[in-house]
Amino acid sequence: MSRALLSSLLPLTVAIPITGAVLCPLAARISRFAPMVLSVIALLSSGALLVCMAPKVYSGRVLSHFMGHWRPISSHALGISFAADAWGLSFALITAFLGALLILYTLSELGELGPKELGGYSCLFLLLCAALIGSGLTGDLFNLFVWFEVAALASYALTAFFLERPIALEAAFKILVLTTIASFAIFLGAALIYGSTGALDFGQIERSLANRTPAVALVALGLLVGGFATKAGIVPFHGWLPDAHEAAPGPVSALFSGLMVNLGIVAIARIVFEVFTTSHGHDVLGLLMVLGLVSALGGALFALVQDDLKRLLAYDTISQMGVLLVGLSTGTSSGLAGASYHLIDHALFKALLFLCAGSIVHMTGATKLSEMGGLARRYPSLAGAFVVGVASISGIPPFNGYVSLGLIHDALRSSGQFLPFAVMLIAQIVTMAALGRAAWQAFVAHPSNEELAHNEDLRPGMIVALTALALGCLAFGIFPTFALSHFAAPAASALLHPGDYGRAVLASGGAIPKLRVSFDYWNPGDLVAVASTILLAIPCAMLAVSKGHTTMAVRRRIQDGSVNDYASYLVSGMLIMLVVLAR
Amino acid sequence: MIVVNYLAAVSLFSMGLYAVLTKRNLLKIVMGLSLMESSTYLFLLSLAYRARSTAPVLLNPPHGESASALARGDVADPVLQNFCLTAIVIGVAVTGVFLAVAVRLVQHYRTLDADKVRELRG
Repeated sequence: MSRALLSSLLPLTVAIPITGAVLCPLAARISRFAPMVLSVIALLSSGALLVCMAPKVYSGRVLSHFMGHWRPISSHALGISFAADAWGLSFALITAFLGALLILYTLSELGELGPKELGGYSCLFLLLCAALIGSGLTGDLFNLFVWFEVAALASYALTAFFLERPIALEAAFKILVLTTIASFAIFLGAALIYGSTGALDFGQIERSLANRTPAVALVALGLLVGGFATKAGIVPFHGWLPDAHEAAPGPVSALFSGLMVNLGIVAIARIVFEVFTTSHGHDVLGLLMVLGLVSALGGALFALVQDDLKRLLAYDTISQMGVLLVGLSTGTSSGLAGASYHLIDHALFKALLFLCAGSIVHMTGATKLSEMGGLARRYPSLAGAFVVGVASISGIPPFNGYVSLGLIHDALRSSGQFLPFAVMLIAQIVTMAALGRAAWQAFVAHPSNEELAHNEDLRPGMIVALTALALGCLAFGIFPTFALSHFAAPAASALLHPGDYGRAVLASGGAIPKLRVSFDYWNPGDLVAVASTILLAIPCAMLAVSKGHTTMAVRRRIQDGSVNDYASYLVSGMLIMLVVLAR
Repeated sequence: MIVVNYLAAVSLFSMGLYAVLTKRNLLKIVMGLSLMESSTYLFLLSLAYRARSTAPVLLNPPHGESASALARGDVADPVLQNFCLTAIVIGVAVTGVFLAVAVRLVQHYRTLDADKVRELRG
């Protein structure tokens, strides 16, 4: 298809899921499975459109479209632009296809619910996916805020989906408070940027900030990064994340963790790299590095001693978001390529692990690791899927985490940042220990004295979803060169050439130079690092099993469940960022 | 005089934030967030103001003004007003969800105290 046609199809990738979302509750009147089928069709057709754009975008073109053809006049944009660059398109693609897979899984796990519930569920699910695709593709700051809000509204309702569970309501209240404060920050940030540059289009803002960054714009940058970091669950903005993941249904946790939190990272990268070009000596990359390291280590440590499986995975999400931020904050081509690789990897393996956790709840009713044990004998295929997820997250070859973590580690080593590198390795050891302990306690260890219920076996939809995700983890680990040169390197290139992205948005299309990023799969340094982290993770996991419960008092003091305290963590984090950035 | 608006916006924002950070009553937290929200609207509308400007309507300009003069900048900035309109719509939806969740919480726990709703910790 021609470039002009493809560009004008861009809004359709969001319009189709939104239309589907509106139709879902109506379709539920026909049959209770109709809304689920409809949402799979909507997401797959949106995904098919994105696939049509992929060859052009990944070969270095930027497709751009102004809504209603309100094109910019002498580089002043009034219309809202949608622009597909490789960074945003990767996120949109993985959202469309992973979303469809998660709905398929939901059909198996929650298929017994009534038509009203299933209609509402698929409506919210599609809205959230549409918002994520939109936030990946939009080229307009205020539009990004609107997609953030759409995603937030859908996520509130999905968190509280099991209304009869008190913990779901508690979690919903916390996510509401924290995300609402974040949305004020983003709203004010967008307004301040408009006030200081007179622009909302990313291309136009980039152009007017290219020569000079006024202090007001730096305050706005702090507000925007803080707001989106809340969505991404970065420490200290993370208070809502473990609660929301624990309370939501399995596939919703997978959607939150695999896709929704990435919205924050995608937006931060877009704002920091493509709008505020980093060459003006402000400290945002150093700040992101600190936030990333604290999240990577803190999340992993909290994950290590959790007893609730989904809460453990949620804390690990905080850790992985920290890893992504560290990759971004290196600012080098291999770090950015590693981050964009890890974004896809994390979506695959974290969705896989949350679906495994959801299947365990569905089949046995157990949520705590101490209640499980010996599940491998009963459900060998589930154990296999879980182990694939754990190996991917731990960065063990031949699974996908090895490549993305290797790239990020390379970037840290080659730019001489050895302290961050050491912290990353420790976080890696703790992550491996946390997930390894979970796999051991759930699947291998002797079952606790009381017999677990056995409701039923894996259903077909679950098997399809788990197999597809496990194969995805394997594929991105086995073909790193292909994935790197076709997906990750173009995305990194888009982030590294902000001027080109900005020009392309304003000119309704343009090109971004190619970037070569190489990864040495058999690099002895990386292999030795993996082997030694495995060796160190084993005693760490054993220590967590024997002494984990003693940390309860400390954990309950830090993560004390009080919404006021979480809000004050958020606000103090935001204030520190503003002071550091605008000084 | 516009400075008064900014001061009012800042004090409203601080009052709202104070409520969110210190009040344990669920409804007071929601009210605090609403205050913060309103203060952002006041701030944005004040940003949009220009001295001696009129409303951003170009059709039928007021007496003594021409549409082209208005288009050149003698109007309040309509983009920021648009921001507020969009945000008000979103804010109403969010407050609705907030109150629905608060009502359900009260039905379950028989209390409005956020400190008694702390099962998820650690």
